[in-house]
Amino acid sequence: MARIGVFICHCGENIAGTVDVFKVAEAAGKFPGVVHSVEYKYMCSDPGQTMIKDAIKEKKLTGVVVAACSPRMHEPTFRRACAEAGLNPFLCEMANIREHCSWVHEKGEATTQKAIELIRIMVEKVKRNKPLYSIKVPVTKTALVLGGGIAGIQAALDIANAGHQVILVERSPSIGGHMLQLSETFPTLDCSQCILTPRMVEVAQHPKITLYTYSELESLDGFIGNFKARIRRKARGVDEKLCTGCGVCIQKCPQKKIPSEFDAGMGKRTAIYVPCPQSVPNQPVIDREHCTYYIKGKCKICEKFCERKAIRLDQQDEIIEVNVGAVVAATGFDILHSKDFPEYGYGKYPDVIDGLQFERLASASGPTLGAIKRPSDGKEPETVVFIACAGSRDDAKGIPYCSKICCMYTAKHAMLYKHKVHNGKAYVFYMDIRAGGKNYEEFVRRAIEEDGAVYLRGRVSRIYEEDGKLIVKGVDTLLGAQPVEIKADMVVLATAIVANQDAESLAQKLRVSYDPYHFLSEAHPKLRPVETNTAGIFLAGACQAPKDIPEAVAQASGAAAKVAGLFSSSELSREPVIAVVNRLPPPVFSTCTGCFLCEKACPYQAIEREEIKDRKGNVIKVVAKVNPGLCQGCGTCVALCRVKAIDLQGFTNEQVYCELMAL
Amino acid sequence: MSEFEPKIVAFVCNWCTYAGADLTGTSRIKYASNVRMIRLPCTGRIDFMLLLKAFEQGADGIIVSGCHPNDCHYTAGNFHARRRWMMFRSLLDFLGIDTRRIHFAWVSAAEGAKWAEFVNSVTDQVRKLGPNEQYQKLSQAGVE
Amino acid sequence: MEELRKKARELLTSGAVKVIIGYGPGSGKRVRAVFVRKPEQADLLICDDRCLQNLAVYLTKPEVKALGKAAVVARLPTLRAILQLAAENQLTDGQVVALGISPEGKMTELSQFKAIEEFLAGFSFELSAEEKATLEKLDQMTPEQRWQFWQEQFAKCVRCYGCRASCPLCYCEKCLAECNQPQWIPAASHQIGNLDWHIIRAMHLANRCVNCGDCSRACPVGIPLHLLNQKLAEEVFKQFGARSGMKAAQEYALCNWKLEDRENFIK
Ligand SMILES: Cc1cc2nc3c(=O)[nH]c(=O)nc-3n(C[C@H](O)[C@H](O)[C@H](O)COP(=O)(O)OP(=O)(O)OC[C@H]3O[C@@H](n4cnc5c(N)ncnc54)[C@H](O)[C@@H]3O)c2cc1C
Ligand code: SF4
Ligand code: SF4
Ligand code: SF4
Repeated sequence: MARIGVFICHCGENIAGTVDVFKVAEAAGKFPGVVHSVEYKYMCSDPGQTMIKDAIKEKKLTGVVVAACSPRMHEPTFRRACAEAGLNPFLCEMANIREHCSWVHEKGEATTQKAIELIRIMVEKVKRNKPLYSIKVPVTKTALVLGGGIAGIQAALDIANAGHQVILVERSPSIGGHMLQLSETFPTLDCSQCILTPRMVEVAQHPKITLYTYSELESLDGFIGNFKARIRRKARGVDEKLCTGCGVCIQKCPQKKIPSEFDAGMGKRTAIYVPCPQSVPNQPVIDREHCTYYIKGKCKICEKFCERKAIRLDQQDEIIEVNVGAVVAATGFDILHSKDFPEYGYGKYPDVIDGLQFERLASASGPTLGAIKRPSDGKEPETVVFIACAGSRDDAKGIPYCSKICCMYTAKHAMLYKHKVHNGKAYVFYMDIRAGGKNYEEFVRRAIEEDGAVYLRGRVSRIYEEDGKLIVKGVDTLLGAQPVEIKADMVVLATAIVANQDAESLAQKLRVSYDPYHFLSEAHPKLRPVETNTAGIFLAGACQAPKDIPEAVAQASGAAAKVAGLFSSSELSREPVIAVVNRLPPPVFSTCTGCFLCEKACPYQAIEREEIKDRKGNVIKVVAKVNPGLCQGCGTCVALCRVKAIDLQGFTNEQVYCELMAL
Repeated sequence: MSEFEPKIVAFVCNWCTYAGADLTGTSRIKYASNVRMIRLPCTGRIDFMLLLKAFEQGADGIIVSGCHPNDCHYTAGNFHARRRWMMFRSLLDFLGIDTRRIHFAWVSAAEGAKWAEFVNSVTDQVRKLGPNEQYQKLSQAGVE
Repeated sequence: MEELRKKARELLTSGAVKVIIGYGPGSGKRVRAVFVRKPEQADLLICDDRCLQNLAVYLTKPEVKALGKAAVVARLPTLRAILQLAAENQLTDGQVVALGISPEGKMTELSQFKAIEEFLAGFSFELSAEEKATLEKLDQMTPEQRWQFWQEQFAKCVRCYGCRASCPLCYCEKCLAECNQPQWIPAASHQIGNLDWHIIRAMHLANRCVNCGDCSRACPVGIPLHLLNQKLAEEVFKQFGARSGMKAAQEYALCNWKLEDRENFIK
C-alpha cells in the first residue's frame, strides 16, 4: 500500500497569501494513500527539509509530494532531502502551487481548489513512481576540439595542460584562424601574430595534443563520454613526416597568380602553398583545383625539386576514427561577402574592400608589408571612408543582430590608417558606437580625439565611381539628416559577422541546436553559455555568436574547464529519465513488434536492435532496445509506439494516465 | 445559475511552455485559474490518447503547447509532434469532434505573457462553447 | 486462372515455395482463403472478382510462417501490404513470392521486393472518383452532422475486433486494445470505448493502411471504417507527399518531419 506524505509550503506569503494552505493540507490528508499531510512556512529551509526527512522515517513514507514552487526550481533540493532520509529520490514529486497557482491567480476559493487538484494529480502520479537509479557511463578522457582559431587553440591548450589528451582538427592548412590574419588588435594595438604564433607553436609541440590540419569532421556518433568521431584528412599532397618546410616547392611552382585566401584576395599564392610564413604546421598543401598537374596531367616540378621526396601527388583522402569523451566546437565565423552589397559596389570597385582585406593591407607581414596601398593602382589613398554596420543590424540583409566587433575594429582601422598616412583623412559612418568593454570606449575616443578620425552618424546609401574617385553618399543624422558626400580613394566596409557556411551541417553532425542565423546555440543563454543541449559537446569562440578575442578566449577556457570537469572521474552518472522497451517472460519476451518505426523517430539515434535468441542460439525475434547512454528522455518514441512497448521512466504511460484520472 | 466555468487541461513540455508558465508566475501576470497543467518532458511525448482521455475525464478544452520550431530541447520532438497533431486534428474533425476545444501553441520559456494571454483566450473561447456535451453525452450513454 | 494454377503447381513441385496462399471455394458462392501445400491441390485456386481479401494478413501469422516459404496471390493492395510490412521489418526480401494479379486479372510472378515496387509503379493509387465523392460528402457536412453520422455508426460496434483481424497491418502481438496497464481503451463496447477504439485504429493506420477495404468488409455491422483510413491517407499524401506500401524501404511519415511542414492551427 502506498504511504504518501504531502508537504505544503507557504513560501512566506507567496503561496499562503493567496492559497488557503491549511485547507489544502486538510484536503490532501484525505486523498487515498496519503498518510501524512502538513504545511510549513518554508519547506526548502533546513527545518522544512528536516520535517520531510523525519516524516519519511517515522511514517515509513513510500512517496513524497512537495507542494511548493516550480520543480524547475527546487526539485533537486527535495529529491536530495528524500535521498538523505533513505527514500529513492525519484519517489518525490513536486506540485507547482506557486508559479502555476498562487502567483497567477487571485486570492479565493477557486485558487485554493486548484492547489488541491494540482496536489491530487501529483499524489496519483507519485503512487506509480518507481525507484530509479542514475545511470553510470564510462568516460574516454580524450577531447576533440574542432577549429584551430584562437578559441580552439586556447581550449586545446587548457585541456592538455590539465593533463588530458586532445585531438585538434582544423579545416584549413594551418591553425590560427582569423586572428592570424589580423594586423594589430584593439584595444591595445599589439601585433596579432606576435601574441598568437607562440601559442600555435605550443599546440604543435604539446605532447598531449594531436593536431590534424587540413582535416574535417566526417561524422560523430555516440554520446557523452563515449563519442566516436570519423575525421577526414584531406589529401595534402605532401608527406608531413618527410617535409621539412624548406619551401623550395613553393618557389618553383609555376602557378603564381592564385588569389590568396589568407590575404583575403589582396595577395597571390602558388598552387602548392602554406597560408603564411608563420603557418603551423609549416608544411604546404597542394591546391588541386589550381595545380598544373591536376589540370593538365603534367608538371610535377615540385616533386622534382623536393629533396626530401615528400611530394605525394597521388595521395588520397584518409578517414580516421577516434574515440573521444567530449567535443569542443570552435569553428569560428565568416564575414558577409561582396554579393551582398550591390549598393556599395563591393566586388565591383576594387577599392571598396572589407575589414579583413584592410587587416592584410595594414599587416607588416601582409602583401604590402604594412603600407596602405589601394588595390586598384597601388597608390596611397588620401581619403578613406570606413562604414560600420555594413549589413549588421539591417533587417533588409536578414541580419538584425549587432556584429559586436565592428565598431571596435573600425576605430582601430581608422587609427592604423592615420598612423601610417599622417595627412590622410579618415571618415567613419556609424549608427551607434558600441564600445562596451575594458578600455574600449577610451580606445574609440583616442581614434577620434588624438588621431582625428571624423565620425559621421548615419547610413551610407550609395557608392559610385566618378573621375577616379569613389563618391560616398550618406546622411549625417546629427546635423539634422543633412546629406553628405565624400570623395574617397578607398572605402572599407565593416561587413557583418556571419556563421560559417557549413555551420548548419556541422550542427547537424554534432546534433546541437543552432539559431536562425546558424550560430551554434548554447544550452542556456545565461547559465550554461559554453554547453550545448547535447551532453558532452561544448562551444568556444565565434561559432556561438560574434565575439572579439578576449571573449573567445574566455569562453574557450570555460569550455576547457567543463571538459576537465567531465574528465575528472572515469565514470559519469546520468539522470535515469530515459526510455525503456519492455521485457517479458517467454514466450512473449517483449510486446515490441520490431517495426522499428521508433528507430527513425528518435532524435538521438538511441534505439538499437536486439536479437532475442532461444537456448540453441536461434533468433526468435528482433526487438527494440534503448541505449541508455544516448537516450535523452524526450519520449518521442513512447508516443509513437502503437503497442506501448516502449515507455519513459519518470513519465510512464501509467503515471501520466493516472495524473489524468485524478482530474 | 452561475456562469459556466470550463475545465481546461494543458499538456506542456518541460523546457519551454512549463518554464514559460513559470515565468508568468515570477512576473506575477494573472490568468484564468481554469487550467490544469500536465508536465511532460517534450511535446514529442504527448500521446494523442492523452488528449482523448482528458476529454473523457470531463475536460471542456485542451491546450497542447511546447517549444517553437527549432527550439526543442531535444531538437526535433516538437516537429514529430506537429505532424501527429496535424493528422489527429484532421481525424477528429472528420469524426465531427469539436476541434475548437483543442488549442495548440508554441510558447517559449521567455513567453510568460503569451502563456497568460493564451490561457485566457482559450478559456474565453471554451466558455462560450459551453460544456463539452459531445463527450458528456457519450459517458452518460456509457453507463448502462 | 489456368496460368495461376500452373504457376502454383510449378512452384510447389520444384519446392521453391512450401505453400500457396490463395483463394479457393468457400460456402455457397463465396470464396475463402486456402493454403495449398501440394501440387495436385493447385486446381483449388480461384482468381476472379470475388477474390478481394487481402491475403497479406496471413504472412505475419506464426502458424503460416511455420509452413515455410509462401507464395501469395496478390492483388494491388496485397502487394502494397507486402511492401509496407517489409518497411516495418515484418518481412524480409525473398521470404515471399507474390503472384501479382493486375486489375485485368493478368498474373505476374514477383519474387523480390524490387519487382513488386516496379510493378506497382505502373499504377496510380489515387482514390477513385467515387471514393473521393464519398469523402467529400462527409467533409461537406457540418461537424454536428458528421458527429451524428459517426456516432450512429460507432454505436453499432460490438468490438469483435474483426476489423483488426482482417487488417494485414494489425500484426501486433499485443494490440493496444489489450493493454490494461493502463487500460487506454475501455474494454466494454460502450460509446466512449468504441470512439476510442476507432480513433486509435485510424491513427495507427495513418500512412500504413493500404486501402484494401478489408476492415469494412470484415465488420459484421457494416461500419464504413475504410473511410477513416482513406481520409488520413489523403491527408498524409496532401501534407507530406507520402503513400504507404510503395517501397520496401518506405519512410513512415509520422516518424519523420520537415521544418516547412505546414499547419495553420498552432498559435
Ligand atoms: C576585420 C576584423 C578585425 C578584427 N580585429 C580584432 C581585434 O582587433 N581585436 C579582437 O579582439 N578581435 C578582433 N576581431 C575578432 C577576432 O577575429 C575573433 O574574435 C576571433 O578570430 C575569434 O576566434 P575563433 O577561434 O572563435 O574563430 P576563427 O578565428 O574564425 O577560427 C575558427 C577556425 O576554425 C576553422 N574551422 C571552421 N570550420 C571548421 C570545421 N568545420 N572543421 C574544422 N575547422 C573549422 C577555421 O578554419 C578557423 O581556423 C576582428 C575580426 C575581424 C573580422
Ligand atoms: S518499440 Fe514500438 S515502435 Fe519501436 S519497434 Fe517496438 S513496436 Fe515498433
Ligand atoms: S525517449 Fe527520446 S531520446 Fe530516448 S529513445 Fe525515445 S526518442 Fe530517443
Ligand atoms: S490497432 Fe494498433 S495496436 Fe492494435 S493491432 Fe492494429 S496497429 Fe496494432
